[in-house]
Amino acid sequence: MAAEPSHLVSLTERAIAEIVDADTIHALNAVRSRYLGRKGEVTSVLRSLGDADPSERASLGQAANRAKQAIEDRVAARRGEIENAERNRALGRQSIDVTLPGAGPLAGRLHPISLVMRDMVEFFTGMGFSIEEGPEVETEYNNFEALNIPDEHPARDEQDTFYLEGGNLLRTHTSSVQIRAMTGREPPFRFIAPGRVYRHDLSPRHSPMFHQIEGFMVDEDVNFADLKGILYAFARHLMQGDPELRFRSNHFPFTEPSAEMDYSCRLCDGQGCKVCSHTGWMEWGGCGMIHPRVLDRCGIDSDRFQGFAFGMGIDRAALLRYGVPHLRLLFEGDLRFLEQI
Amino acid sequence: MRLPIDWLGEFIALPDSETLSDALEMGGFEDVSVVSHGPDLSAVCVGKVLKCGPHPNADRLSVCTVDLGSEEAVEIVCGAPNVAAGQTVAVAPVGTTLPDGTRIKKSKLRGVVSKGMICSRRELQLGDDHEGILILEDSAPVGKALPEVISLGGQVLDLTLTPNRGDAASLLGIAREVRAHFGGDITIPDCDPEESGPASEENIRVSIDAPDDCHEYVGRIVRGVQVGPSPEWLVEKLELSGIRSINNVVDVTNLVLLEFGQPLHAFDLGKISGGEVRIRRAKEGETLTTLDAQERKLEPEDLVIADSNRAIALAGVMGGAETEVREETRDVLLESANFRPAQVRLAARRHGIHSEASYRFERGIDRNGIDRAADRAARLLAEISGGEVATGRLQDRGNEAPVPPEIRFETARVNRLLGTDLPTGEIAALLERVGVTTLEQAPDVLEARIPSHRNDLWLHQDLTEEVARIYGYDRLPTRLPSARLVSPSRPRGWDLMEAARDGLVSAGLQEVVSLPFIAPEQIEALELDSDDLRARPIVLANPIQEEQGALRTTLVPSLLNLARNNLRRQFDAPRFFETCRVFLPTNPGQLPQETRVAVAVLVASEHPGLWEAPAPVFFEAKGVAKKLLNQMGYVASFGLVGIPPYLHPGAAMQLEVEGRRVGVVGELHPKVASRFEIEAPCALLELDLEALVEIPEEEIRAREVSRQPRVRRDIAVVLDANQPAGEVATAIAKAGGEMLRDVEIFDRYEGRGVEDGKVSLAFRLVFQRDDRTLQDAEVKKTIGKLMRMIAHRFGGELRASQTSTKEGGIEG
Repeated sequence: MAAEPSHLVSLTERAIAEIVDADTIHALNAVRSRYLGRKGEVTSVLRSLGDADPSERASLGQAANRAKQAIEDRVAARRGEIENAERNRALGRQSIDVTLPGAGPLAGRLHPISLVMRDMVEFFTGMGFSIEEGPEVETEYNNFEALNIPDEHPARDEQDTFYLEGGNLLRTHTSSVQIRAMTGREPPFRFIAPGRVYRHDLSPRHSPMFHQIEGFMVDEDVNFADLKGILYAFARHLMQGDPELRFRSNHFPFTEPSAEMDYSCRLCDGQGCKVCSHTGWMEWGGCGMIHPRVLDRCGIDSDRFQGFAFGMGIDRAALLRYGVPHLRLLFEGDLRFLEQI
Repeated sequence: MRLPIDWLGEFIALPDSETLSDALEMGGFEDVSVVSHGPDLSAVCVGKVLKCGPHPNADRLSVCTVDLGSEEAVEIVCGAPNVAAGQTVAVAPVGTTLPDGTRIKKSKLRGVVSKGMICSRRELQLGDDHEGILILEDSAPVGKALPEVISLGGQVLDLTLTPNRGDAASLLGIAREVRAHFGGDITIPDCDPEESGPASEENIRVSIDAPDDCHEYVGRIVRGVQVGPSPEWLVEKLELSGIRSINNVVDVTNLVLLEFGQPLHAFDLGKISGGEVRIRRAKEGETLTTLDAQERKLEPEDLVIADSNRAIALAGVMGGAETEVREETRDVLLESANFRPAQVRLAARRHGIHSEASYRFERGIDRNGIDRAADRAARLLAEISGGEVATGRLQDRGNEAPVPPEIRFETARVNRLLGTDLPTGEIAALLERVGVTTLEQAPDVLEARIPSHRNDLWLHQDLTEEVARIYGYDRLPTRLPSARLVSPSRPRGWDLMEAARDGLVSAGLQEVVSLPFIAPEQIEALELDSDDLRARPIVLANPIQEEQGALRTTLVPSLLNLARNNLRRQFDAPRFFETCRVFLPTNPGQLPQETRVAVAVLVASEHPGLWEAPAPVFFEAKGVAKKLLNQMGYVASFGLVGIPPYLHPGAAMQLEVEGRRVGVVGELHPKVASRFEIEAPCALLELDLEALVEIPEEEIRAREVSRQPRVRRDIAVVLDANQPAGEVATAIAKAGGEMLRDVEIFDRYEGRGVEDGKVSLAFRLVFQRDDRTLQDAEVKKTIGKLMRMIAHRFGGELRASQTSTKEGGIEG
């Protein structure tokens, strides 16, 4: 065997050493071309094969090709390393202070009343109730007379009313919407009427404006058991857990029979606490079967049709849901306060 | 209404207080409670004397070890002779304040530490017995508060009546309720008086001149009374009931009022002139000085009791001062009457007098209880004042009051309303308990006879309520209705309001809710045109305060107040909105026009945060407006007309949809800003949702997007500085032809490199064709055309043009 292969061996070793030393792509390319380029050392060996002794030519050729392949492999591997290192260096240069705060979008929020009202409306629209509104300034007729509360009846005293010059008034309850929705309509129907209502009330626990949701349903056989069923389902939708309800007999001129409803205090589980004045119950609203005279006034045959109506405050539900200490906070527009909810 | 429990117990046997108040509360009365009117002894508790030995240093004292139910028994020094081991006693622990104000402290008595006091009746103000300590029943649980263990006397039932239940405004009425719930027999106090002397008519005649207003008038005469203080038992009953004792005559009338619910009045017979009492309407100009010493001008609508000369009482409301019973009164006329409820109610309201009498007349009294009350009062008065009841009642009748008829109904109606399946017999039995007697006229058809005290039962529905009330609402079945479906509907205005809420919240604004009241001056501060409806807010007849005297015609002033308040609280950049109705005037007497609006306030930040380089507030608000309307399903455009006087004339625009005004957006006029004390730049966005109700949402027609590449070209044009950029952009969009897809103003520059009085506006143009890739040449040609148009119409010249780039082409 001639000395050529050993020459190739040292050539390869030298090339590999230079490859390892190269630390930029540029340097690596230079090394590669020094050995494998057109005038590279390995290339010239391959080119000079024709001059070689024919008996050695084949083995020398194979050896040279092996050397070429080894160098190519090492170049490729080194290229990967260098690129990786460069990429890492670039990432380092590009890295940012990720602990800075995120940018926009600004957070807007619905008012707690809107949140609770939507929750309530969602339940009833899911039950197939339609929405009806009616004006906030009402006639005395729609707010009182049509609801069976004549001027000479003491039930008038129960509601402190804001009057406008000329005799119209700010509605004291959403029940006035019953009159507007039922007049000229043929049952069956079922409605809810959410909205603002007003009472001339100065006490610090109350607000002259608050929100109610009224619901009513009329058909041939809608009865008090149905009313209880709807209200239980509503209470379960609105409150966590499985609240208990209590129906106390009461008097509303526009329902007969009438009841006041309470739910078991959510804070003490009905055991009695400060919030429920140690009774275990929270007042929820009023309900009953629509008075036949109200139906008649709306042009509905009270012999054939009957139905229930109920009404409850929205504000107190919002207070309880969000732990708001008192009603007035809801209407003062203090953004620091509202942003919490 | 307050009724002493012991007194109520004279009418009917009572269950324990808790059972009683529960039943009344569930059965239709409000705020029911049984309260003690004795001293507050809630801190005094039950103790057990475990050991009792002599005090080492004092003969008369003992040292007791007392179990108070806590972990460790305490040592108490006691001076009572009757204390002994094994007794159950009342202990005031350290920290208790006794009814006389003594505070119990830990103290040393002759060298022995005493931690509390074993109390006598007198120390607890439960009596005068000072002989020794109060010894309780052995069964009293150790550690319990004393009021839970012993009756402290003076227990009072406190409750509120609903307006329909006038029949319950008395001890008898509540006793009937007790009977309805628990059964039992009612004991009516003795009423029949012992009559003597000449007939009542010899003194006086009674006649009703206003028969519609007075259904019946009964008088009783008691001669020779000795007016003076009432006996102790009478004073106590009245005081526990919350009525002040006046004298024995007046007290008797009040006592009977409480017993039977029949208001009575006592006249000094000697002061009634002309030997007659007439019940008539007041005369024009007539006056009456009532018992409260007020001289009252009477009106012809008023019903009075009169003698031959003058009015001596306002019927059913209050007596007159001149005929008041005084010490020198000898003969008394007792009045027991039935006045028309509405008559009394309106008179009480007219004169601002709300008395125990008017309260009951307004709600209706028992028409069959009038004689009984007169008799009872006469009898009692004779008993306690030494007088004699004259023979016979004085009596006249007016027209009969409308009286509930007999009600004939199928019991199926009751079940149909309640959702129950009660048998006829049970319905009849339940009604019987409230005094309604029934007759089964046909199978399952009842005829109900209403007792004279129930003026509120007219319809079978009223009887159904009685059935439910006594049966118990809680026992009624509960089930979801099986109902016929109805196609649901909702007002479009409602949906628009909800959409406005969502849009404004997603633009980063906080929703607020505020009261609809405003001071008219706050609206004046906006300097609205005089023909603007909003300049004339509707005023309230009875506002809570002057600053809340009118209804809002616009949300602007109240929201500006909120902005100022928040700024004062150092809230940076308040951004919020309200959506509700405002009230615009119409013709007098008609309902106002209620208009839904959404109004947003955006105040510029004084301290922008890290990433915020905010646009001027006007442009923020304008951006919100466009985005909001878009989200609501509309395409917004902006016009330069219709700017209200409270907005900056050079920084406001009208919001338009399909050429109709739907609102306005702009910066606050500096004048108005300073009036509302807002210093930071502040923009308003007002949306008239009522106008939008009329405009259908833009119909969306989605189509395939072009797959051809887009060509973007930026051009900068130098124009006069006062040239509105929007007009140029619109002109470009119009002139650009079909292949110009988008025009955006992306820079506005004044300053170095641009001549004074000029501005450089930069537009980004996007070109595209649907059918093929654009050629550079055709884009170039179009831009050249556009530039000529700009030069011609606006006098602009090209400052720079950037080479086009092809972007995002999708190969087909």
